[in-house]
Amino acid sequence: MSLSKEPSARKIPVSRRVRTSMPYVLLAIMCAALFVLPQFAGRQASAFNVYDALQLWSAYGLGALGVGLTMIVGEFDFGVLGVFALCPMIAVKLGETNLFLGLGAALALAALVGLLEGAIVAKLRVHSMPVTLGFYIALLGANIAIGNSQSVSFSNLDVGSALDAAQFTVFSWRSIIALLVFALVFIVMRFTRIGRDVRAVGGDRRASRMVGVEVDRVLIGVFVVSALCSGLGGILLAYSFATALSNPGLFPLQFAVTAAIIGGVSLAGGVGGALGIAAGALTLSLLQELFSLLAAPTYLSSLITGLLLLLATFIAAPDLAARWKSFRSPHPRALAGVVSRVPQPAPK
Amino acid sequence: MPGTPLALEVRSVTKAFGPIVALSSVSFTLQRGEIHALVGHNGAGKSTLVKTLAGVVSPDQGEILVDGTPVTLTNARHAQAVGIAIVEQELSLVPALTVLENILLGRVGANFRSRADDRRQVQGLLTRLGLNDVRPDTMVEDLSMAERQLVEIARALSRNARILILDEPTATLGEREIERVFAGVRELASAGSSVIFVSHRLGEVLDLCSRVTVLRDGRMIASQPAAEMNRQSIVELMLGKVAERSAVERRDNKPREGLVVIDQLSVPGHVRDFGLRASGGEIIAIAGQVGSGTSEVLRALAGLMPDARGHVSIDGRPMRLGAPQRSIRAGAVFASNDRKSEGLFLHQSVARNLLATRLKTVCRGGVVNRSLSARLAQRLAGLIGFDRKRLGAAAETLSGGNQQKVFLGRCLEKESVTLLLFDEPTRGVDVGGRADIHDLIRHAASTGAGVIFASTELDEIVDLADTVVTMFAGRITRIARREDMTATDILAEMTHGEAKKAAA
Amino acid sequence: MTGVNSTTGGPAGSPATGRIAYFHFATLAVYAFVAVLAALIVFGAFATPGFLSISNLSAILTSAAFVGVIAVGSTLIMLSGSLFSISLGTTTAITAILFMFLLHYGVVVAIAGTLLAGTAIFAVQGALVGLIGANPIIVTIGAGAIQEGIIGWLSPGDITPPPGANIEFLARTIFGLPFSVYVFLGLALVLDLCMRHTRFGLEIYLLGENQPAARAAGLPVALLTTAAFAVAGFCVAVTGVLVAGFAQNVNLQVAGTYTFDAIAAILVGGSAVTGGWGSVGRTVIGALIIATVTDMLLLVGASTGMQIFVKGLIVTMVVVLLHLSRRERRSP
Repeated sequence: MSLSKEPSARKIPVSRRVRTSMPYVLLAIMCAALFVLPQFAGRQASAFNVYDALQLWSAYGLGALGVGLTMIVGEFDFGVLGVFALCPMIAVKLGETNLFLGLGAALALAALVGLLEGAIVAKLRVHSMPVTLGFYIALLGANIAIGNSQSVSFSNLDVGSALDAAQFTVFSWRSIIALLVFALVFIVMRFTRIGRDVRAVGGDRRASRMVGVEVDRVLIGVFVVSALCSGLGGILLAYSFATALSNPGLFPLQFAVTAAIIGGVSLAGGVGGALGIAAGALTLSLLQELFSLLAAPTYLSSLITGLLLLLATFIAAPDLAARWKSFRSPHPRALAGVVSRVPQPAPK
Repeated sequence: MPGTPLALEVRSVTKAFGPIVALSSVSFTLQRGEIHALVGHNGAGKSTLVKTLAGVVSPDQGEILVDGTPVTLTNARHAQAVGIAIVEQELSLVPALTVLENILLGRVGANFRSRADDRRQVQGLLTRLGLNDVRPDTMVEDLSMAERQLVEIARALSRNARILILDEPTATLGEREIERVFAGVRELASAGSSVIFVSHRLGEVLDLCSRVTVLRDGRMIASQPAAEMNRQSIVELMLGKVAERSAVERRDNKPREGLVVIDQLSVPGHVRDFGLRASGGEIIAIAGQVGSGTSEVLRALAGLMPDARGHVSIDGRPMRLGAPQRSIRAGAVFASNDRKSEGLFLHQSVARNLLATRLKTVCRGGVVNRSLSARLAQRLAGLIGFDRKRLGAAAETLSGGNQQKVFLGRCLEKESVTLLLFDEPTRGVDVGGRADIHDLIRHAASTGAGVIFASTELDEIVDLADTVVTMFAGRITRIARREDMTATDILAEMTHGEAKKAAA
Repeated sequence: MTGVNSTTGGPAGSPATGRIAYFHFATLAVYAFVAVLAALIVFGAFATPGFLSISNLSAILTSAAFVGVIAVGSTLIMLSGSLFSISLGTTTAITAILFMFLLHYGVVVAIAGTLLAGTAIFAVQGALVGLIGANPIIVTIGAGAIQEGIIGWLSPGDITPPPGANIEFLARTIFGLPFSVYVFLGLALVLDLCMRHTRFGLEIYLLGENQPAARAAGLPVALLTTAAFAVAGFCVAVTGVLVAGFAQNVNLQVAGTYTFDAIAAILVGGSAVTGGWGSVGRTVIGALIIATVTDMLLLVGASTGMQIFVKGLIVTMVVVLLHLSRRERRSP
């Protein structure tokens, strides 16, 4: 019983179904792959592998959550990468004397960075990419400076072992913490007004402003939260390995962006959520685990990650449909015989 | 009822933007529970008045009273707090969110009602407006334009608007949807709210509204009960005179008959079965209100609508639709109705803008030849009546009229151009500039090219066109030679074509 | 609904007084910043021991050269509205490795093949961005990861040039400046002229300024984007060749910080990140500014980390200030 000239879109369109279910389908495929594929190499996936994957997930997944949140709100934050490196450095350095001092200072720094970035992007209306890139470079520099161009070891090994001790076979306190953070963000995004406002601002900033949403506050809030998530991820990683790296390289960015995109976050903004990002990050973590189980060379993981990212981008590309339609536009035949049919102005 | 304060009273409101007086001492009243129409042709001041009531613009003089109390509406939130809600033509819905979320978005106060309450209220609104198969959890992305329009109305209703202003709400709706909107509006009125219905569609206006206020040139011309008026009288009030058949000399030479042939052109959701023949040197106007498909026809011909289908041939050669370069190769050039975002390169100089589409001709071996460019730019500037000394100025520093001249000037004097497509060629241009642009268009036609332009300006259509094609709801309603139609006829076709459609 | 405070106000748009004050502040701040920076550099030049020596100045040029070549090519990507590529460093590495491989077939073949490869790698990414509107940042991150994978697959370690390969000229010094500096300046000059005087260059500017308008005007959007990326890829390959000639062995580490350094050079030069405004010449200045400041810091004994930190600060400040000043200068 459609009202309009167009066919009723009451059923959710196929493309959206694909997009919303993609993270979970991929995850399911990856789980299956993890248990099936190693058989061909004569190996067996065990609970340890799941544990290991979750360990990876808890660090880099939080980074993905950070990047993903800023994408959902319609921006892009390179600074998240810088925070992922710098927070652990601060936590380790200051944590030598007092663990909680280090932790607190690091998280405070993350919040400050997020606040600054958010304020610049929201109030000054500067494009987020170059500004956050500048932040990233500065944060990386600070990281290298504080560490004297070297990775710094952490003498407090107990924290790491406590965090990493297996709980319920496959979890650890580290992954449980990450799980809680994801759950918290999920609840806020899905069930509260704030979450709705975040998606609104990302989906259509102009309309949101028009309707009375406090766009600036939302933007700043998202930048702060994303910096905190990413900082926490880096800190957990550093505690575990009892090391803070001076330059983690591009891997966290690659992981975060790929996890977010296969997790259903749309570059256009307004689409995506914590659950999808968690699934995307878990998929990638399991992939890494699969590679190590198969004793596959490390370059393969970069290759596959890159291919996945390109594929996901291709599918989500905004002009794809239009180009396809334009391509399918029929080649015209000559209009012989049609001329007479075309209406003429009525003679006087 | 004496003693009951008026829901809304507008007293002698005047508003000017610089030298342009948009509203001049406009007054009207709105009773409780009344559905009041606000009509007027383009530029009459309707949208300024609406913006004033919405709090977007403050009047220079005069006052506004809501329920007998004077109010100063400084911003949109204030207006909302006072009970005024607007449903605009440009929708403020976020496609990525659901209907429920959109309706709740930015709501002032009352954040602590339970979700179930909210959902029930929204479902109730949707049913009231006839959106039976739309759930609160449906994503706005999935809704048609018409359904989105209704959701916007639902949102205004959910804000307990005591004064609801609908700005051209039915432009994109079909008949049944319009019925539903009306039903909802009538219900609202009977519950004590008042509605201001801004529209060009006089049939609907007379159907729905109890009083009609006509604006013309920023003044309130008449404010009468609808029962005392009919379509003809309203149109005459809008135009200000009884238009006669203009006896205009036809320009006779029509070389190249059938230069452009269009058959069964359609754009899903916008245009259906459009067909036309144009000759070289002929100027054709496509007249229709926003949403009737006029823009879309031009854009389809320009190759900017990838899903356009149909047969088009230019100068005997068939043209493939779907990409702008195909149209340009076939000899069609297009100027969109939005020169700022889809036309001019505002930070570039005027000269660069003029040459933007023909860099090939001023280049030798890929390198831009300074003297060639300068000469061509000067010639074009002379053609469009633009001060040659200002060729180096950035396009954004120009007045609206000059910008439009530069924009259109881009399309002129190109050797291989057979068809010129102009969408609203004089939008945002004052009277003087308008005359200049019309001369430009006539000159372009005189070189043998065909010109098709879309416009909502009656004067322009009457002035320029040799042939008039009127459109309504995506279809052609009539094609006639200009001298066979008066301005009144054209407006009549544009505004209540549905009567004709039903009769046909 | 345009609010009174929007830039598109009423038909004759009169600015509110508050904004005029803001406008002056932002532009003043830019001039102040430039003046301070210039003063710092001049002061530093005299105060820093060893700065005003020929060897130091040529060291600055040298350190700017490698990054500079990449940066001037990538400027076209930014000018065309496609932001920047996150895989600049990775492609530099892969082209350097490829060059080493191809040296087996002779120098000329090696150079030609490498340049072709770099151009092609970037052109493919440009086609994705231009044809279907894919996000350039994401595409280049993905392409970078793929290239990292390929490098790992092809070269399980360091690559050295085959014996007898005649590549000394790449590292030769001419009149006190290394070959790479001449390549940098020469390429920058050629590209700058090209962007300002050819049809291609002008069309790139138009595309970057207003893509829908360019499309409607019939400019070949996809082709232009692909070409912009291709030029950038060519320049990256040039650096790859130069780097290979300079170092005695190459591996992925060669990528180093080229990516962000090149982007920083473009941003500090002041070209608009959204496209349509800026120039190759500005990028050269940006590269030189960064090289100068880094050099001064080095001479004063600042650590690597400190140098990078200051670089980041400069980028952020330049971006913010220029944006503000441009925004205010624009609105009526």
